[in-house]
Amino acid sequence: MTETPQHDATHISAQESEWVMHSLEADQLASARAEHYPRRKLKRSEVILFWGLRLYLLFMMGVVCYQVWTTAR
Amino acid sequence: MKEPTKPIVTAPAETETPLALPRVSVTEITHEDLDRAVDRERVFRARARKGPFGNLRLLWLLVGPGILVMLGENDGPSMLSYAATGARYGIGFFIPFIILTFVMALVVQDMTVRLGAVTHRGHAELIYDRFGPFWGRFSMIDLMLGNFLTLVTEFIAIRAGLGFFGVPPWVAVLGTLAVLYVALMTHRYWTWERITLAAAMFNLVFVPAALLTHPQWGQIGHALVSWGPLPGGVNKDMVLILLADIGATVTPWMLFFQQSATADKGLTPNDIRFGFTDTLLGALLAALAAIATVIATAPLFVHHMSAANFQAAEFAQALEPFIGRWGATLFALGIFEAGMVACITISISSAYAFGEVSDQPHSLNLPMREGKAFYTVVFLGAAAASALVLIPGLPLVSVVLVVNVIAVLAMPPALIFLYMLVNDRELMGDLTSPRWANVLATIVVILLVGAGVLYGISVVAPNVFARIGGS
Repeated sequence: MTETPQHDATHISAQESEWVMHSLEADQLASARAEHYPRRKLKRSEVILFWGLRLYLLFMMGVVCYQVWTTAR
Repeated sequence: MKEPTKPIVTAPAETETPLALPRVSVTEITHEDLDRAVDRERVFRARARKGPFGNLRLLWLLVGPGILVMLGENDGPSMLSYAATGARYGIGFFIPFIILTFVMALVVQDMTVRLGAVTHRGHAELIYDRFGPFWGRFSMIDLMLGNFLTLVTEFIAIRAGLGFFGVPPWVAVLGTLAVLYVALMTHRYWTWERITLAAAMFNLVFVPAALLTHPQWGQIGHALVSWGPLPGGVNKDMVLILLADIGATVTPWMLFFQQSATADKGLTPNDIRFGFTDTLLGALLAALAAIATVIATAPLFVHHMSAANFQAAEFAQALEPFIGRWGATLFALGIFEAGMVACITISISSAYAFGEVSDQPHSLNLPMREGKAFYTVVFLGAAAASALVLIPGLPLVSVVLVVNVIAVLAMPPALIFLYMLVNDRELMGDLTSPRWANVLATIVVILLVGAGVLYGISVVAPNVFARIGGS
């Protein structure tokens, strides 16, 4: 824990920068967001699960549309 | 591509996170970082203080995303669903059922805290990174479509709540957009969070409205123990209310919002315990307001008043003979507040997700010049939704119920992504979700799919319920 430096709204001093890096974890910095986590390889069972749930959602959206249509009639 | 935030200082890099993902090659310090560091420094100081005051101070500093997401989800359509529940079914089965839905919400929302605190990344970004853009786009379509439709219903609630006081719709809509603008123009996560938290606390106005009905506590206690009565049994209308009440508590935008807000607030693995407390507090407060709404509208059931086509303002007007002018005023104000707070949180969840997948800066700590895309998404989404509710003749009640149903149906795919991410050892290291939480989350997914299937049957083959004893 360090003393909070005085902040100027338009400029960040070297002292402030050092303090920020001390206070935040490295991947909390805005610049760290440029780095992305690598893609994971999906297992066959996971792909089947994803597709199953996607088809479930599509089917159920059809049911919602049917209900809206019958109610509107 | 990422629009670079203004690099003020380039310093030698910290090269490795505790989990070795991702590597940061160049460190640029921005005003967003500085604001977040100020917030973290307060947390460090509170943590260093021993005793109950230190813990209380720590709790005060770390609460926010959990309470906001839970009270934010007690939004316009949710309160309307709870009001319809009380008016159609009185005090009975739905009182314990609503508590169950909040337990479900607590289980899944706690997973988002864990993910956000460990990875410091938003939900949309992690889905894109780990599962690729193909599945990421599906997820974003679900979120953006759901959020837009829900925003429409928030403005319906705002319009209806203020309509009770004779405020014209266009004034209600413009006033809300102005409040949204003011809340965001602080350009500071902490200030925004405290303002929105204060506004969200007004959700509890449903509690005095419920007390004005002089509820029978024995009847409430009996309902909690027996899960009954359920007038009319299981039928098409009951299933619609059941799904609407689930959709009033667990929806995809909550996952995206809480994880992104947790990362934006700067929570770390040390804060996960307080993150749970935050979510638990939110769930308790929101459940209290939800049950109070059911109790407040129960007199309509007792006096056999048909509430099938009621909108929010009509609920307030119908309740006036039972809870007086003050009670009805509280009810209408509560509906307005529910819509307004949710309008803020849902718009921001869309903007977080958009920023995460398009590599645009996305934080409530961003000054306007650095966060133009982020703030534009917030305003454009809200403005488009608000314009829609000004269209004369729009079937508002149908829109509200359909939106809640869609939210429930979209949850299982969203929860599978969450489940896999929070159990991903490459992301989470030793901080993966505990086994008990995984078991509960699996039960939640099964319940949601079951509720969806029940809804499908009620629409396609409603006669099935008559054969199993419903009306």
